[in-house]
Amino acid sequence: MTRAAGAAAHAFVVIEFNGVTKRYGKKVAVAEVTFSVRPGKVTGFLGPNGAGKSTALRVLLGLDHATSGTALIDGKRYRDLRYPLRTVGALIDGAGPVADRRGFDHLSWIARSNRIPRSRVGEVLDAVGLTDAAKQRVGKYSLGMRQRLGIAVALLGDPDVLILDEPVNGLDPDGIRWIRTFLRDYATQGRTVLLSSHLMTEMADTADDVVVIANGRIVAHGSLPEITAGHPSLEAAFFALTGEQKQVWA
Amino acid sequence: MTAVTTARPAIRVADLVAAELIKIRSLPATWIALAVAVVANATLGFIAATDVIRLAGDDGPTSIAEIGTVMLAPVYAYLAIPVFAAGSEYRGGQLRLSLAAVPGRGRFLAAKLLATLAASLVAAVLVVLPNLVLRGALGDLGRHLVVYLLLALIGYGLAFAVRTVVTPIAVLCTFPILISTTLGGLWPEAVRLLPHETALSLLDMPADPATALSPVAGLLVLAAWATGSVTIAWILVTRRDV
Repeated sequence: MTRAAGAAAHAFVVIEFNGVTKRYGKKVAVAEVTFSVRPGKVTGFLGPNGAGKSTALRVLLGLDHATSGTALIDGKRYRDLRYPLRTVGALIDGAGPVADRRGFDHLSWIARSNRIPRSRVGEVLDAVGLTDAAKQRVGKYSLGMRQRLGIAVALLGDPDVLILDEPVNGLDPDGIRWIRTFLRDYATQGRTVLLSSHLMTEMADTADDVVVIANGRIVAHGSLPEITAGHPSLEAAFFALTGEQKQVWA
Repeated sequence: MTAVTTARPAIRVADLVAAELIKIRSLPATWIALAVAVVANATLGFIAATDVIRLAGDDGPTSIAEIGTVMLAPVYAYLAIPVFAAGSEYRGGQLRLSLAAVPGRGRFLAAKLLATLAASLVAAVLVVLPNLVLRGALGDLGRHLVVYLLLALIGYGLAFAVRTVVTPIAVLCTFPILISTTLGGLWPEAVRLLPHETALSLLDMPADPATALSPVAGLLVLAAWATGSVTIAWILVTRRDV
């Protein structure tokens, strides 16, 4: 689909972090995080483990309360979205299914909660290659299958925005290639993709824009060529940007 | 946001309740707890009706129909239904998904409470009815259902508060087994206010005259426990990070 055709079908939704700070007790998880994510692009949210990526995404999704600042989607707080899962599909760290439940049932309750047709459950199971495992209990899934189920949850509402936290964890090479192509196509349709990862090569192959976070602070934000300018690779640029940072949150 | 989205029907509380009911019925623990409670209570009803087994009491062999703690025991298997409905939100990080799907925490909690009450009511009827039919005591159905539902709410709230399924069942079972038996004689004024004792008082089957309340007082104290438990859970879930 061309970008123009995608624009006709989907809203241009922008994600905006404005001075978001989150403290847990005395520990500062993220500090004064400010950046925006443009539609029609895959934006990579890059940082070492414990840098504050997941915390920032939890604040964006209203799961954690910001100590100060705002994180908005299409100018609204997540909790104020009328159709949350049709607007935002998210794969969140530490948010998974109950192991005793079947994959199909897991998707069914999520679809029902947002008035998403039951037929969509079969579609997303098919899209992530879990149709044959739909009636299995999730406890019997491999790590890769659980990750695919999480991606299926994110796709349920055919949302305008995808927020994926470390989506390639546990995926086999086929799965990694599939999600890379899928995200590129998704952005080409004019939709917004925010992709969190600590994997440099994966990010370099997928992202248009990059936001680099370390120690809970944004240290760089720009297009991939801008971030890598003067460096042989994204990895080299990343270490140049973050190498001197001492982690304060892990 | 767009013409496409505004044309869609709004998400109703009924949709959220339906989603919560799917969660409850798709958990094996729900059906295991229901089966155990139904079989246990029906068996007790049969024993009580036929008087084939008597237990030793202060005044000699006593029909189990007169031993409230025994007759109420199946409720502690039944309690796993509401406890799992709430506590399973903390298994595998499901609560994050629930709140991503329903970010309005008040709406989420209201829907979950309604669904849990509905499932608990149906389950209570299935657990209580055979027992009462066998004993020819159908007139007691109403207060048995009230006891079961109020205890269900206590377990439900406690599961949200402690964020696990094990502790609420362990705590609620500990009250009658350990605390009531050890402290009942020493401090009956306090023990008679515990959920198990107030439930027995409401059923007019107190374990001991010293720990008895009137049925109305039992109802009020048990309702206070249930209200307090659900209220504390509500406050915690709406304020906590997840």
